Amino acid sequence: MNALTQPIVAGQPLAKSQHDLHNARSLLDATLRFVRQQSKTTDDPFVISRFGDVHIRIEVAAALLERAQEFLNRHEDDSEISVAIAESHLASAQALSTVSDAEFELTGQRTVLQGSLHDPLRWKLHLIGNFRLNGIRPVKFE
Amino acid sequence: MTASAQTLRTAHVIRSDAEAIAVAHKLAARFAVEASVRDRERRLPVAELDEFSASGLWGITVPKEYGGAGVSYVTVAEVIKIISAADSSLGQIPQNHLGVLDILLQTATEEQKRYYFGKVLQGYRFGNAFSESKSKNAGAFETRIRFDTDTAQIDGEKFYCTGALFAHIVPAVAVNEQNQAFIAFIERDNPGLTVIDSWDGFGQRTTASGGVTLNAVKVPLSAVIPAHKAFDEPTADGPISQIIQAAVDTGIAVGALEETKRYARESRPWIDSGQDHGWQDPFSIAAIGELEWRVHGTEAILKKAGQAIDAALLNANEDTVAHASVVVAQAKVLSAEIALLASSKLFELAGTRSVLGKHNLDRHWRNARTHTLHDPARWKYHLIGNYLLNGVKPARHAWN
Repeated sequence: MNALTQPIVAGQPLAKSQHDLHNARSLLDATLRFVRQQSKTTDDPFVISRFGDVHIRIEVAAALLERAQEFLNRHEDDSEISVAIAESHLASAQALSTVSDAEFELTGQRTVLQGSLHDPLRWKLHLIGNFRLNGIRPVKFE
Repeated sequence: MTASAQTLRTAHVIRSDAEAIAVAHKLAARFAVEASVRDRERRLPVAELDEFSASGLWGITVPKEYGGAGVSYVTVAEVIKIISAADSSLGQIPQNHLGVLDILLQTATEEQKRYYFGKVLQGYRFGNAFSESKSKNAGAFETRIRFDTDTAQIDGEKFYCTGALFAHIVPAVAVNEQNQAFIAFIERDNPGLTVIDSWDGFGQRTTASGGVTLNAVKVPLSAVIPAHKAFDEPTADGPISQIIQAAVDTGIAVGALEETKRYARESRPWIDSGQDHGWQDPFSIAAIGELEWRVHGTEAILKKAGQAIDAALLNANEDTVAHASVVVAQAKVLSAEIALLASSKLFELAGTRSVLGKHNLDRHWRNARTHTLHDPARWKYHLIGNYLLNGVKPARHAWN
């Protein structure tokens, strides 16, 4: 175990999504602030639509986090909950990396983000696919 | 009155959101059976449409005070998605009918509302003669309306008239000398109205989205509504029109993903995978996972868009309508993206044998590519970004 393999908050299955989504929103705010200070860029159609793209990814992450939370609250079937949590993790991670790329592109800087090797995303895709394609139930979420 | 319009129609009247969803599932299961054959033969879904409107689903947005169920737009989007997953041409056909019902609600007189909502609850279908292929852009109209003391005359030429061929009444958009848009409700057999079955697009093949010519068509003034008012003032009509588009595309994605899983289960294992079956391939499994979360993300935003429209209907103002426009634009981008992705990944995961003509699996991609062209997603990113970055509210028209 080291800092990179430590889960963010053990025992709270949606903590990672919340964490990534929070970071994504903070980064978006910082990027918006930076761009608004540059008078010309706010009229640039490509800059404008870049923010549109980032905003969409953040909203999807928020919607899937809410959905996973509802699944937990409703005590859905364990496999359905696990899959909804995995989908929420993926969406939040994608939102964060999209906004991080946009930050780099539009500000020339990249805020350092703390990563984690715990619970890799690539295996979440596998977990979801294996349940939906092959009916193989995922290990119960923690 | 047309011969068909004179026939007394007796559609079932749906009473609740839950009933609308249940009826949609039942119909979708039946529509799915011959969807591929209809596409292959370009067999127009005449009997299916009669069943569709008789089910009551074409009247679910009629408000309660006019005898309908006044369902939420979360439900409307869900219904269109369910039908489109089975047959996206059938899902698209009521698109303008539903849009016109809201314009009626926003701009018609009390008497006109009672009359036309009553017709819809009986099972009458509205088509549309809105778009023009020769005008400068999608929002420009050359079709003219001239008002007389008790009649109006309409002259012009229309294209992309989805539903007109199968409609009992064809609402047509025309502008007066001040360039204000009106909608005239024209009976299907009204002299001077000609519907041409000329749609030969490679996708959405059975929508019969051909042309309409209007040659000195005369209607009573009671059949005309001042449609421009739906956009002069902030109303949810633009977002309503758009959410149906997004729901069709989400449905295409859902249908394509189901088909992908069906065929991926039967695919051969790749030689390097060391597996006995295609469904054991770790990369295929992960690719399904990727499609799954993206479909669910799109569905979740589609639902948010429906909620935003419901809020704007309850309290229409500049802010609620702008918010609805922005959320619907998100649904529009996501649904276009996933419809194209899922209908293309289908072949990748099912393998070469899935492209054989006998399966007709390309219909999902052809439908996705065709229907997602309705209005360009590239301007939706811009709409969303401009609201976020600069606080600019989206322009109000039928495409936002």
